[in-house]
Amino acid sequence: MEDLKELKKVEQFADQCMKCGFCSFFCPVYQEERVETSVARGKNYLAKLAIKGEQKFTDELGEIIGKCLLCKRCVVNCPAKTQIDRVVVAARAQMVKNKGLGFIKNFAFRKVMANRKAFGNYVKLAKAFQWLLPKTEGKIRHLPDFLKALGQGRNIPEIAKTFLRDIVKPVYKPQDGKAPKMRVGFFMGCATDFVYPELGLKFIDFMTKRGIEVVVPQEQSCCGAAIYFSGDFETGRMLAEKNIEAFKDVDIIVTACATCSSTLKDYQKYLPDNPDQEKRYKEFEKKIKDSMEFIIDVMKVNPEELKLKKEFEGKTATWHDPCHLVRYQNIQAQPRAILKGLKGLKYAEMPNADLCCGMGGSFSVYHYDLTRKIAAKKMDGIKATGADIVVTACPGCMINLIDNVYQNKMPQKVYHILELVE
Amino acid sequence: MLKESVINELQRIVGKENVLTTPEALKAYSYDGTTSWIHEPDVVVFPTSTQQISDIMKLANKEKIPVTPRGGGTNVSGGSVPWFGGIVLCTTKMNKILKIDKENLTATVEPGVVLQDLTLRLAKDGLFFPPDPQSFLGATIGGIIAENAGGPACVKYGVTKQYILGIEAVLPTGEIVNLGGRTLKNVVGYDLLHIFISSEGTLGVITRAELKLNPIPPAKKTTMVVYADVAKAGEGVFRVLENGVIPDKIELLDNWVINRIEEMMPMGLPKDADAVLLFECDGIPEAVEKETEKIVDIVKKYGAVDVRIAKDMDEANKYWLARRAGFAAVFGKAKTVFAEDVTVPRGKIPDLINKCKELAKKYNVEIVVLGHAGDGNLHPAILTDITNEEHYGRAVKAMDEIIEEAVNLGGVLSGEHGIGLEKQKFLKRQLDPVVIDMMKKIKALFDPNNIMNPGKIWE
Repeated sequence: MEDLKELKKVEQFADQCMKCGFCSFFCPVYQEERVETSVARGKNYLAKLAIKGEQKFTDELGEIIGKCLLCKRCVVNCPAKTQIDRVVVAARAQMVKNKGLGFIKNFAFRKVMANRKAFGNYVKLAKAFQWLLPKTEGKIRHLPDFLKALGQGRNIPEIAKTFLRDIVKPVYKPQDGKAPKMRVGFFMGCATDFVYPELGLKFIDFMTKRGIEVVVPQEQSCCGAAIYFSGDFETGRMLAEKNIEAFKDVDIIVTACATCSSTLKDYQKYLPDNPDQEKRYKEFEKKIKDSMEFIIDVMKVNPEELKLKKEFEGKTATWHDPCHLVRYQNIQAQPRAILKGLKGLKYAEMPNADLCCGMGGSFSVYHYDLTRKIAAKKMDGIKATGADIVVTACPGCMINLIDNVYQNKMPQKVYHILELVE
Repeated sequence: MLKESVINELQRIVGKENVLTTPEALKAYSYDGTTSWIHEPDVVVFPTSTQQISDIMKLANKEKIPVTPRGGGTNVSGGSVPWFGGIVLCTTKMNKILKIDKENLTATVEPGVVLQDLTLRLAKDGLFFPPDPQSFLGATIGGIIAENAGGPACVKYGVTKQYILGIEAVLPTGEIVNLGGRTLKNVVGYDLLHIFISSEGTLGVITRAELKLNPIPPAKKTTMVVYADVAKAGEGVFRVLENGVIPDKIELLDNWVINRIEEMMPMGLPKDADAVLLFECDGIPEAVEKETEKIVDIVKKYGAVDVRIAKDMDEANKYWLARRAGFAAVFGKAKTVFAEDVTVPRGKIPDLINKCKELAKKYNVEIVVLGHAGDGNLHPAILTDITNEEHYGRAVKAMDEIIEEAVNLGGVLSGEHGIGLEKQKFLKRQLDPVVIDMMKKIKALFDPNNIMNPGKIWE
């Protein structure tokens, strides 16, 4: 009998499915492939069979449960409220547990090494990652997925010459020299750290300008999205512990990455292995604020008082909802309030703003062709707005949007929302 | 197990990428929207043209391999479950809307078009396809025609068969036929089109359809009517109609369902009500206003305790969301649910509801009532647990009696789900042996080797 511990934990969620099949309409993968194994109902059915011991942990099952963006469009639209994301993630974890880490294909070595430049970046990154991750074999395998995507003919931003972690200070006092109104911890996140360090500095500046003290614990690690969503719960839990420890002295932790904020909040949902862990993850969740909710709901910034950078004056912006904001955290009003409030900027809502961009972490690494097809629908939405700039708040989405805007020869530029303000 | 040569031949016909044989894929095509009917096929094929379907059928007919056509697999009769294995012929990759003809108010579509995709596309031209099975997010046109599906809007607009002008189909022997046509009137020879519609995939594969469309009505208005007695709500339905108003929808939710929906998504439904009726009127704005006023007068006269007219689209959407959540509410509360779709003449709705109440007491089981009250198509749902033998036994008896009663009241044992596997044991209660025999002969005429969705409709 195979180990079923992780899957058993989600059995109650898997049982919720009444097989109506409505998820097919919302699933970006099914919409492209139109095959039952692509859609939540099919994946859930196979997971249920696995729980009953009627489905083995075959490579084919690994393929099927791997082919999910975890965009949660099926979840929010499910009449029976089946939390299929939990079933898929648990099934991946069970797969890793029973079949070993080989289930997470060692993509880096297979594809990236062929590209010298990408490999050069890789070595640099792998070095930076050495101390982020526990001392286990195969560290390169755990590079965040957007970095793995290097070398696939993508047009993605250069790796930063200097990483944020190398230049950031441990403490930033309020710029007015007064006593801080609030003290927060800043969680960098890998994309901000390695690709968009200026975004991190920008956010710190934004906060310290407004009387907030920002601390940046050097011991912080990767949020773990790429790792635990791929099913490596063991490493995921280790990272959770590192981050909980690193931020133990602050009550609020902010990040400018939608994936990081949701991943940190959701340790309690996906990872707990015992009641003690669950309790601590839940306490940790309460501290996490995405930049969007922090700025609008906690700092109570009035969007109309924000100053638009000169280069964006007269431009039309459209907003892309990252899955990890709109569905994982129900954050959608806040960024729109900022964009609509910014004087001098015009706003145009795109059709299907909440449609996944197709990135989906490791999904885009293994299924780049599908990523492109799904992104094409996003591009249609962007084109329909006639916007000059595409704005979002997730560096993961940004990387994929930049790639696809470029490949489709579209004029739009892609920005993180914080880049728009002085 | 199929011969390797058959698999090779299927791959040659539709391309390797359109043939699935892994154990995992076969499991994923072993079910439909029902809970208890499961059987794996030997192979799943995804044709992309009529000619390919014809070639598949010729091969299957020669080799005498069962073929079960399948679209979105949202049906709730067991109809698309491959009961004898063989080939699942899945039409989901034939999903093109070929033509929208605004002059003639028609559309030409492939069988795998999902109803909601069609609805969204037609709306751009101010048109709609009135049949509205509530599985519209996944149901495909081929399946909708094969099951002669209906939904809430049937009160005013009727069911699928009234909106199909013609089809192209592949017979089990591989011939390609055109039945019906493109005109509203057509009396040329026997109406074979309507033998095909509601044949539940047992006579052939629908490969193209000519649909009749309507312009989208410019206005809609929703009214929620509260009752202290569910049977009174049943009466409200026919009182409104006999007094001259035909709303496009009349739906019923009973007390149990209202309370489960309020638990799932609090929206201020009247939790004390024994039942509510949701009315929707559509048409030109002036008519919709007048009809709504009239509904209010009539229901008040016949026992309604409260009436709420939705003040805007948001409020209206909220009520319809509640209605749509109804089934999830029921399914979420029991391991096994018998979702009946018995249909009675509208005047008999109160009798059927009272019978359900009586049976719930007699067998000590929870029977909840929701559904398309406007057309007499109630969905009494019995909550049970297939693993609890004693309870399940009582539920089966209760269901038996509900069906018996529906037939006695002049109704039918299925209004819209079809017979499939789920209801075939009841078929004889409804149809005379000679009628069933005629059906079997028709089937044999179309399908001499009995390869087309075998094992369905009759035992």
